[in-house]
Amino acid sequence: MVYDGRARRVVITGLGQVTPHGRDVAAAYSALVDGQSTLALRTVGDGAHTAQLVSAICGELDAPALLGRARAVTMDRVSHLSAVAALDAWADAGLNREGALSPDAREDVCVMWGCGGGGQQTQERACRDLFLRGRTRISPLTVVQSMLNAAAGHIAMMLGLGGACLTYSVACASSAVAIAEALRRVRAGECDVALAGGGEAALPYATVMAWQSMQVLAVADAAGAPAACRPFDAGRRGLVLGEGAAALVLEERDHALARGAHIYAELAGAGASCDHTHLTAPDAHGQWRAMHAALRDAGALPQDLQYVNAHGTATAEGDPVECEALRRLLGDAAPRVAVSATKSLHGHLMGAAGAVEALITVMAVHTGHVPPTANLDQVDAACGGLDHVVRQGRRGMGVALALSNSFAFGGSNQVLVFRRDNPA
Amino acid sequence: MNDTDTDLALNLLRQVLTKFTDIKPEQVVPEAELAALEVDSLSLAEMLFELEDRVGVRLSEPREPPKTVAEILALIEPHLDLIRAKADA
Repeated sequence: MVYDGRARRVVITGLGQVTPHGRDVAAAYSALVDGQSTLALRTVGDGAHTAQLVSAICGELDAPALLGRARAVTMDRVSHLSAVAALDAWADAGLNREGALSPDAREDVCVMWGCGGGGQQTQERACRDLFLRGRTRISPLTVVQSMLNAAAGHIAMMLGLGGACLTYSVACASSAVAIAEALRRVRAGECDVALAGGGEAALPYATVMAWQSMQVLAVADAAGAPAACRPFDAGRRGLVLGEGAAALVLEERDHALARGAHIYAELAGAGASCDHTHLTAPDAHGQWRAMHAALRDAGALPQDLQYVNAHGTATAEGDPVECEALRRLLGDAAPRVAVSATKSLHGHLMGAAGAVEALITVMAVHTGHVPPTANLDQVDAACGGLDHVVRQGRRGMGVALALSNSFAFGGSNQVLVFRRDNPA
Repeated sequence: MNDTDTDLALNLLRQVLTKFTDIKPEQVVPEAELAALEVDSLSLAEMLFELEDRVGVRLSEPREPPKTVAEILALIEPHLDLIRAKADA
């Protein structure tokens, strides 16, 4: 790798996911565009400590078969989900083929991962053992299973990647930040290839109880659960927790072209900001600054956008603020730019949300199809003035430029810009 | 240990090792090296913890971590009565 000082463009050459919509990226995206909900009423915890909630969880994952039993038994569920998504992305990029990367190049590849809560199931099991079962000792793997950077470490080990291996914990923007940081490293010439994304499996009883205490979760019975999450709708009742992981292979464009890699889209820019106003209440100006910075980084204008994958969590406070920021960003173009919040279909994947939604935005650019905001029957007056994609996705729309928004507790905002790849 | 005792301890170890690795039970023989059975320092710690759970006692901590199946069997040996009682229960 020689960095000659020219601007290095970064493209996406591999995608992998383990989400409530499944592991098959194309099939999952098609289901999303068709508006298929994965939300259901479920019970978490066991014994006397259980809670019911609407949630979105991943299907059965045979981690021992996919990762090897000896490794799988040393991992929390969040690492299982993360590692499988990462291995799938790596294979999708064709990087697992013999000779695809030289040993030296492999030593440069960085792993940038996002995670909000780490191995929460491990932590809860340890607490149950100590406090409920009265045990005086707990599993010796408790620390290494629950530490936030466990997933990234496993991914680097499994693939033999020797560059920087870092984990970003920025609440709901965690994995969007990880992808943005990977972009910087590839652009800077630190590596030609980066593996970025994030995972979350934060649905143990205690964590669910903490979220319920915040009174921001949508509540519904079993029949109403699939439609419980209603971003931008006048009748929205809160967010729905989900779990999963997604991974993207970022690659310097010439490097990708030289090895004949398939290019899904260009990661054209990223912008970050901090609201610096409140720990949980979002701020339109802070969000606008992140979107503005991302477009500037991409050398693009708001009116060039065709699609925005909104943060859109369906909370009373959050949605109007994001819409205000979007109206300000888009100006006269606001009625012409498609906006959707896919959390209505896959839930809020917390630390993994940024990566899952970045992957969805890449697929929007790649396929030209745009997924809908489900359950948006009556747009809240405070969420108006935008081209909300309601009920059905739009197939064959064509997307040349798209944003993916991630806004986190703590006031951290991260926006990613994806562009259809072109030689110019 | 006589043959019956060895079988008892080996069976227990086979149950635990096959839970933690993809190896076959017949690979768990006294002379087998743990590294060859996909056991590293992390999974060994978890495995010994599981063994303690199953036997119901705290195993003594050797000066050096066990490297073979036989060395784990030696840790279990003082507790054969307990294992036998559990197996009979």
